[in-house]
Amino acid sequence: MADHLSKVIQEERPSRPDYASLAKQLAAIVGSDGVSADGADRLANCRDYWPMGTLWFLEGKSPALPDLVVWPRRTAEVAAVLKLAVENDVPVTPYGEGSGALGGAIPLQGGIALDLKRMNRVLKLDRDNLMVTVQPGMNGARYEEYLNRRGFTGGHFPQSLRCSTVGGWVACRAAGTFSTRYGKIEDMLVSLEAVLPDGTIVHGRDLPRTSTGPRVDHLFLGSEGTLGVITAVTLRIWPYPAARIYRSYAFETIEQALEAIRRLIQAGARPAVVRLYDSAETAHHFPECKEAAGRALLILLFEGDGGIIAAEAGLAAGCAGEQGALPAGSEPVERWLKTRFDIGISSALFRQGAVVDTIEVSTNWTNAAPLYHAMQKAMLAVEGTVLASGHYSHVYPEGTALYLTLIGFPSGDKEQYYKRLWGAAMESCLALGGAISHHHGVGLHRGLWMAQEHGTTLEALRLIKRAFDPQGIMNPGKLGLEEAAKWRQ
Amino acid sequence: MAAVNGERLLDCAICPNMCRCECPVDQEWRREASSPAGKARLAHLLLEGRLEWDSALLEVLSTCLGCRGCQLLCPFPGLDLSRELLRVRTEVCPAGITLPAAVPYLNNLKKFGSPYGARRSGSASRERQGRPEVLYFVNCTAQANNPRMQQLTLELLGAAGVSYEVLDQYCCGYPAQIWGDLDLARQLAEENAARIAGSGASLLLTDCPECWHTFTECYPCWGSELELPVIDTATYFLELVRQKRLKPGPVKEIGRITYHDPCIWARVADKCEAPRELLQSIPALELEEARPGGQETRCCGGGAMFQLTFPERSARIARRRLSELPPSDALVTSCPFCRENLQADGAEVLDLVELLSRAVFQEKDE
Ligand SMILES: Cc1cc2nc3c(=O)[nH]c(=O)nc-3n(C[C@H](O)[C@H](O)[C@H](O)COP(=O)(O)OP(=O)(O)OC[C@H]3O[C@@H](n4cnc5c(N)ncnc54)[C@H](O)[C@@H]3O)c2cc1C
Ligand code: SF4
Ligand code: SF4
Repeated sequence: MADHLSKVIQEERPSRPDYASLAKQLAAIVGSDGVSADGADRLANCRDYWPMGTLWFLEGKSPALPDLVVWPRRTAEVAAVLKLAVENDVPVTPYGEGSGALGGAIPLQGGIALDLKRMNRVLKLDRDNLMVTVQPGMNGARYEEYLNRRGFTGGHFPQSLRCSTVGGWVACRAAGTFSTRYGKIEDMLVSLEAVLPDGTIVHGRDLPRTSTGPRVDHLFLGSEGTLGVITAVTLRIWPYPAARIYRSYAFETIEQALEAIRRLIQAGARPAVVRLYDSAETAHHFPECKEAAGRALLILLFEGDGGIIAAEAGLAAGCAGEQGALPAGSEPVERWLKTRFDIGISSALFRQGAVVDTIEVSTNWTNAAPLYHAMQKAMLAVEGTVLASGHYSHVYPEGTALYLTLIGFPSGDKEQYYKRLWGAAMESCLALGGAISHHHGVGLHRGLWMAQEHGTTLEALRLIKRAFDPQGIMNPGKLGLEEAAKWRQ
Repeated sequence: MAAVNGERLLDCAICPNMCRCECPVDQEWRREASSPAGKARLAHLLLEGRLEWDSALLEVLSTCLGCRGCQLLCPFPGLDLSRELLRVRTEVCPAGITLPAAVPYLNNLKKFGSPYGARRSGSASRERQGRPEVLYFVNCTAQANNPRMQQLTLELLGAAGVSYEVLDQYCCGYPAQIWGDLDLARQLAEENAARIAGSGASLLLTDCPECWHTFTECYPCWGSELELPVIDTATYFLELVRQKRLKPGPVKEIGRITYHDPCIWARVADKCEAPRELLQSIPALELEEARPGGQETRCCGGGAMFQLTFPERSARIARRRLSELPPSDALVTSCPFCRENLQADGAEVLDLVELLSRAVFQEKDE
C-alpha cells in the first residue's frame, strides 16, 4: 500500500534481510503490538518536519520508507532490538515525535524506524537535588505538566514543546525560548543512559560534575541517533518561578539593541526570554505596538525570585536607555506568550505553493549584526525569495543565536530552489565564521555543509562513529558522517 | 453532513502535530499514524487517491474520540479534525469496509435499536394527560450500564411536578454514524424524530452529550430536524432548582466532590457553568476543580464508543484521566460514558443526577 508512493531519496543497502522473519523475531522482544509492517505505520514514520519532506508529501511522495516500525518500552528491549539489527545488518533510525527540522528521522536506507514514544515514563523525581529522570519518548508538554503539578519547571520551552520528545531534545541539542536563564538542553543534562548498537548499555551518573575522564554519555548530546539510542535522561529542574516581570524596548537599529543586550548579559543578568526582532518581524508580530513602528523590538521576560528579577529588570532598563530605546511596556511580551505556538501561517503558505523554512545559526557579539545583514542579503539574492527576516533569541556572555525565517515562491523546481537558498545561507554564515546551526541540528540536510563547519573535527567524529557503530546501522546518512548521495545530487 | 473540507484537512496534514500533547489517543497509542496529524495525512492521501482503502486504514482513522482536545491548541480556528475524520469515514470510505471491532455492535443496533443488545423494557412512562412538558430520551449507554439513572431522573421530574413521557425505543443514531453506517443513523433519526414529534412534548431532555450533539447538529443535516429544544439534565434541573420546584439538601457523607467535565458538554455545547451551579445549589458541598478542567478538560476515553471498540485502550485513557483528578469524597460527572469509564479502577462515580437525587430525597427518606 505504501510502497507505490515514490521514495525520492531512499538509498540502497546491500544487505537484503528477510523482514517477515525479522518481524517475528522482533515481536518476541517487544510483543506483537510493538512491531508493524503496516503501510499506515511505515508512511507515518517515513519523515519528520523538514520542509522538503512536507513539499514531497504535497506531491504525494515520501523521502524513504522504513520496512518495519518498532516500539520498545524498556532499555533491555532496545538493546535486544539493536543486537538483532546488527546481526541482520538492518539500519535503525530512532524516532521521537518527528518534529525535527532537518530530515534526521528519515529512514534513509529503510530498515527499522525505532519509535521511542512508548518509552514515556518518569523514572525518578529527585526533589532535594532538583533532578528528574525520564524515558526518552515522553512528550515535552507532558513532561512540563508533570513537573508543574509537583511545583517545578523544566525550563525548556521550544516552540515544538507540544510535539517533541525529551529524547529528541537531547539528540538534537535543542534550545527552548527560555534558554537565557535555564540554558540549552546540554546545560540541563545531568546524565543519560544509551544503548550502543552491540547492545551495550552505557550510562553516566547523576552527579553535579565529575573529573573522571571524558563523559561518554555526553557524547550522545547532538548525536541524532547516529551513535546509539538514548534510553533515559536525567535533567535539572527548578522550583516553579515565584514571580515574573515583562518588559519590552524599541530600538532605532539592530546594532543598538544588540549592544544593550550584550551589556545586560555580560553584567550578569539572566532574563529567561530575550528576543530581538528585526523591523520586518516587529511589524509582523507586534502591529499594535506604536513605539515599535519601524524599529527593532526587544522583549524580555524575567522569572524567578522577586528580588533578583526586579534588580535584573532595573539593569535592563539602564542598558536599553543608554542605547536610546523607547520602553514599550509589557503588552508585547503578553502577546508573544499568547501566540508563541501559533504556526498556522506556514501551513497556509505551503498550501499556496511557497517554500517556507527557518535557519538558526550562532555567532559572537562582534559578528552578530554583520552576520544578520550578510545572510539576509545572500538569501534575498536567490531568485524567488520574498522574505528573509530575522530575530535573535538565545543569548550568552560570548554571543547569540540568530534565527532567520524564509519564504520563497520559486518559479522553477522547488527542490533546486531550496538547495540554492540553503547554499546561500550556509556559505554566507561560514564566510563570516558563524556556526551553521544553533539548535535544530544537522539531520540529513545540513550534513551537506558539515565538512566546512568542522574541518578535521568531522574526521574525529567519524572515528567515534566507527568505534561505536562499525557496521553503520545507526541512522545512516545523517550528521554528515556518511555521504547521502541522492540528496546531495 | 457537509462534505470533507479538504483544505482544512491538508492544513492538519502538514502541521507538525502541535496539539498531540492534548490528544488522549496519541498519549495512549503513541503511534505516529494515530497522532492527530498522522490521521490527517492518511486521510489526505486517501482523498487524493494515492492510497487504497482497507479496514486497517479505517481502523487508524477511527482512533479519534471526538473529544476536541486538539482544538484547544490548534492554530487553525476553523478546523475540527474529529469532524473531518468522521466525514472521511462516513462519506469517503467505500461501502463494505467496516471497522471490524464495530461489526457485532452494528448488528445489535440493527436488531435491537441499541448497540448493547436487547434493551431493558418497561420504562415507567407516566399516564398521559395532555401534552407532556418533557420528553425524556433514555440513552442506550445508561440503559445498559446504569438503568437506575432513568428511574432517578423520572423521580426528580415527578418531585418537581413536571409532566413527562419517556422515549426509550431506539438509539439516537450516534454509534451508527461513528462506525460509518450513515443509512442506519438516518433511519434511527427518522424513527426518533417521528416519535418525538408525535409526543407533543415541549422539550426533549437528555443526560447524554453525544445524544444531545446528534439531535442538535446531525438530525438537521439528515433531514430529521427536531422542532423542540433539546436540553441537558444539568441545565434543566438547575432551572427547576432556581424555580424552587426542587430543593436540594446536604448529602450525607459527601462534603467534597470532584467534577469531571465531559468533553462534549464542555467544548462542543459550552456547558461548564450549569453543572457547577447545580452542584453549588447543594448545601455544604465543596467543589474540587480538576486540572485541567472546564473547557480544557480531558476525555475519559469513552468518546466515539471506544468502550466497545477499543475497550482496553479506553480503560487506560480513563486511568490516565483519573490520575489527574484531585481526591475527594465523590467523583461526579454528567455523561453516561464518563460515568462508566471512570470506574476503571473501581472508583465510585456518580452522575450529577444521582447526586442531585440524593440531595433532594435523602432527608425525606430518613
Ligand atoms: C514548529 C516547530 C518548532 C520548533 N521549535 C524548536 C525550538 O524552539 N527549539 C529547538 O531546539 N528545536 C525546535 N524545533 C525542532 C525540533 O522540535 C527539535 O529538533 C526536537 O528536539 C526534535 O524532537 P523529536 O522528538 O520530534 O525528534 P525527531 O524529529 O523524532 O528526531 C530528531 C532526531 O533525533 C533522533 N532521536 C530521537 N529520539 C532519539 C533517541 N531517544 N535516541 C537517539 N536518537 C534519537 C532521531 O533519529 C532524529 O535524528 C521545532 C520544530 C518544529 C516543527
Ligand atoms: S488538529 Fe490542529 S494542531 Fe492538531 S495536528 Fe491538526 S492542525 Fe495541528
Ligand atoms: S478529537 Fe480528541 S482524540 Fe480526536 S484527534 Fe482531537 S484530541 Fe485526538
